[in-house]
This record gives sequence, structure tokens and C-alpha cells, in this order.
Amino acid sequence: MSPEIAEYTDSELPAAVLRRLRVATLTPKTICMKITQYFNLVDVQARMALKADASKYFLGYIWWLLEPLLFVGVFYVVFNVILDARRADFLVFLMCGKLPFVWFSKSVTQASNSIVANAGLIGRIDIPKSLFPMAVIQEGLYKQAAVFVLLLAVLLAYDYPPSWVWLWLLPIMAINYLLIMGCSFLGAILVCVQRDFGMLIPLGMVFLMFTSGIFWDVRTLGDQQMTDLILTTNPLAFLLDAYRQVLMYGRVPDIPLLLMVALGCGLLVVFANYALRRGSKYLALKALTA
Amino acid sequence: MSVVNDERPVMLELRDVCLSYHSKRSTFEHGTHHVLDGVSMELQEGETLGIIGKNGCGKTTILRIMAGILAPSRGAIRQRAGASSALLTIGLGFKPQLSGRDNAILSAMLQGSSLQQAESYLSDIKEFSELGDSFEEPVKTYSAGMKSRLGFTTALMTHVDIMLIDEVLSVGDAHFKQKAEAALKERMGGNQTVVFVSHMGPQIHQLCDRAIWLNEGKIAAQGDAPDVLDAYNEFIRSIKNGKR
Repeated sequence: MSPEIAEYTDSELPAAVLRRLRVATLTPKTICMKITQYFNLVDVQARMALKADASKYFLGYIWWLLEPLLFVGVFYVVFNVILDARRADFLVFLMCGKLPFVWFSKSVTQASNSIVANAGLIGRIDIPKSLFPMAVIQEGLYKQAAVFVLLLAVLLAYDYPPSWVWLWLLPIMAINYLLIMGCSFLGAILVCVQRDFGMLIPLGMVFLMFTSGIFWDVRTLGDQQMTDLILTTNPLAFLLDAYRQVLMYGRVPDIPLLLMVALGCGLLVVFANYALRRGSKYLALKALTA
Repeated sequence: MSVVNDERPVMLELRDVCLSYHSKRSTFEHGTHHVLDGVSMELQEGETLGIIGKNGCGKTTILRIMAGILAPSRGAIRQRAGASSALLTIGLGFKPQLSGRDNAILSAMLQGSSLQQAESYLSDIKEFSELGDSFEEPVKTYSAGMKSRLGFTTALMTHVDIMLIDEVLSVGDAHFKQKAEAALKERMGGNQTVVFVSHMGPQIHQLCDRAIWLNEGKIAAQGDAPDVLDAYNEFIRSIKNGKR
């Protein structure tokens, strides 16, 4: 990623070769242990962050549900009470879009700053830099699990019949998680390399909020070409629509497009994770000095 | 001046290591900082090496390079394959809202322990740090001395081939300081390889066999600890007398 890392001038055994030697001594067993250790650490960090967070506020864990609901409330007042959304199911429609969007936007925004925010720790230990965004993402996942339970409860209360199609929620949520991972890793790298990107990420979230069909329906634009364009170019709009198709209308999502989005998100995660690993020391220097 | 004992195997070697980076000054303007400039040194198995120098001479940076946190801009590092190293500093990412117990678990895991190992250290950590019931209280309620006691104790629990220590003994009351020094000496006395950084001569004198004096990113002297300290003290006196 940077010439500063690649430039080893002399020595029979430059660090790059040593690194390869060390990798060669890894057995499948030690690799498994390393991976388990990594995910345990992500899990412990996330749970401790939740605990620390809850102890900060008087309302504690209640904020997990209260915060996304307040977001929904604000949108409901603006787009139904003031502007008249002209649909009877607006509350459920809004919740199916807004709740996953808040999951995405909060996780990505917070994770993008996570490497820079942990500069103190980075200066003391050589750990994989993906650990910091991952801890934030995992924290968001635990909160979101509670939010999804609430969403399902609201659907049942509004007489939306549960069906086997609801099982499609699992792959949709998994792809949503991958999208969060990919964007978070990329954001964390960009903010670490150049802090200026930190200014752009909240702006990007506002842009996505308006363009991903949260308070308007992608399918009733009246222009089929525009609908197709949005669904194929904005993976977030596609996923929010997929949540609605499954939960509100009991329809199976567009499978080829779902697979394409999954593949795209997967590739982004692999690429960004490679960059995080490859540029680990460069990112450490940037986090410590920039 | 070098007293390299050739019989001991080399754990870590830096050869002509330089570190410089660009840093922002104002809009569109960058400056280049040179932190280390052509540093070459060897670390042998089982020795305790002291690094001394003024603030800002590159002491912490050289430890970070040894710990594999930073890569040098130029030069080479050789480390024995498979040897682990860790930089021990007090207060590794303490979260003030969490209890001493939770912070100890987190610190131990960040330094490479598994959850089970981390939990098995807890009773030792509680006992050595003498925190008593405060161990279960949030760290935000701790005094500075209590924090450093917890930090030192969790750091001491890690087991690595090369222990890199950055000014750990600079805080805490007299009683705990003595206890901490004794514990460190015990670790150093074994076959533990240690690099110890300080700006205080007496600590280096007490704990280290060999010393390196870093000045403005370059090695000004290296060799037997007393010789290097003499040269360093002479230099400090000359600054105070305004000769330089």
C-alpha cells in the first residue's frame, strides 16, 4: 500500500521473508486457534462496549430500542402527519426500511472512525486492524437483533401473517451484514489514511438516506426504468426493498439480483480485509502520526 | 565499546533502521519528520537491554518497531522466526465505565490470551494489584495510583519471548513501586529477554546489563550500562551548564 513498507534495502532476511517463514510454521490447528481467538476477542470487545455504553445512560439498555424508534417517529411525523404519505400501511412500511437503514448507517459511521479512535491501543500492540471496525459492527448486530424482534412483533400486531417466506430474512440480513462490513472496512481505511474522509461519511449517509427508498417506495415511482436503475445500482435500496417484499407482501426477493449483491459485498469485504492486513503497519503509522 | 557476547543467540537485530513520516502543518502543507536515523543494534536471548534518552529521542518508536507495530521506512529487521514480542505499557485501553475485572480480561485478551486464560489470571491480578473490593468497581472511580497498579499487574501477566517495557515504573506509591520492581527483576532474572526504556538513569543502572543511549534518532553510545550512563549523564550536565 505504501513504499514505506516495501522498501527494505539490505539484509539476507528482510522482514517480508521472515513473515513468510513465520506463516509457513502455522499448522491448520494453530490457524483455527487464531481465528477462534480473533472472533472471541471481537465478541468480548463488543459485549464490553455494550455494557460500558449502557452504564453511561440512565435509560441504559432501553436505548437499544428507543433510539431507532425515535428515528422512525421523526420520519413518521414529517412524512405522514405533515406531508401525508397517502398510504394506510405507512408505519410498517417505514419501519421495514428505516430500521435496517439505521443499523447500516450507525455501524458504518462509527466503524469508519474506529481505527483512528483506537490510536492509543494501536501504538502499543500489533493487532489486526480489522478488529476495531469488527467490534463496532458486532456491537451493532447485537443491538439490531433486539430491533428485529421488535419489528416482527409490530408486523404481527398489524396482522401481517407470518409465513415460510419470512425465512428469507436470514440471507437478506446476512448480506446486509456483509455490506456493513465492506463499507466499514473501506471507511476505516480511508479515514485513517486521510482524516478528511471523516467529513464526507456523514454526508454520504444523508445521500443514501434520501436515495435508498426509506420513506418512499422504489416500486411506485411510475418510471420502471428508474426503479430498475435504483435497485441494480444501490445495493442498500435493493436490500430495504427485499425486507419489505418478504415481510409485508410475502414475496420471495429477486434471487439473481440478491446473489449479485451478495457476491459484490463479499468481494468488497475480501478486498478491504486484504488491504487492512497488508497495510497494517502503514495504517498504524498513519493512526499514530497523522 | 560493544560488549556483545557472541555465545548468546540473537533474538532481534535492527540494521540501519530509519523511520520518517509526513505530517500535516497547515492546508496543503506537509513536513517530514525523521524519528530514527540509521539505528543498528542487536538483542541477545536472555539479556536485559536498557534504552535511555531525552523525551522525543525516538525511544518509544524503536520499541514500536521491535514489537512489529511500525515498519521502518528504510533498513532491515531480523527476528528469530516464531519469537513473540509485546510492548508492555500501563493502562492498555482501559474503558472507564467497566470494572477492573472486565478491563483486566480485555487487556489480557488484547495481549493474546484466550478468554479462559484471561479468566484464570483474574485472581492473581486481583491479589497482586491489592485492589480488593475496588476490583469490581468501574475504573472511572479509581485514583491514578490504582489505575497504574491494575495496568502494571495485567501487563505482567503476559508471557512473551521478548518483553518490551516502556516506562512502567514511573507511577504508583513507594510500596507498590518496590513490589513492582521486585516482580520485574524476577522476570528479568530468568531467561526472559527484555528491552527497557526509561529517561531515568538509576532504573537502567539497577535493571539492565547493557544500555543504548539514543539522541535525536541516532545511537550516541552503546555498551555496558554504567559506561553508557556515565556518557549520558555527562551530556545532561553539559546541557544544564549551557555548553551546548
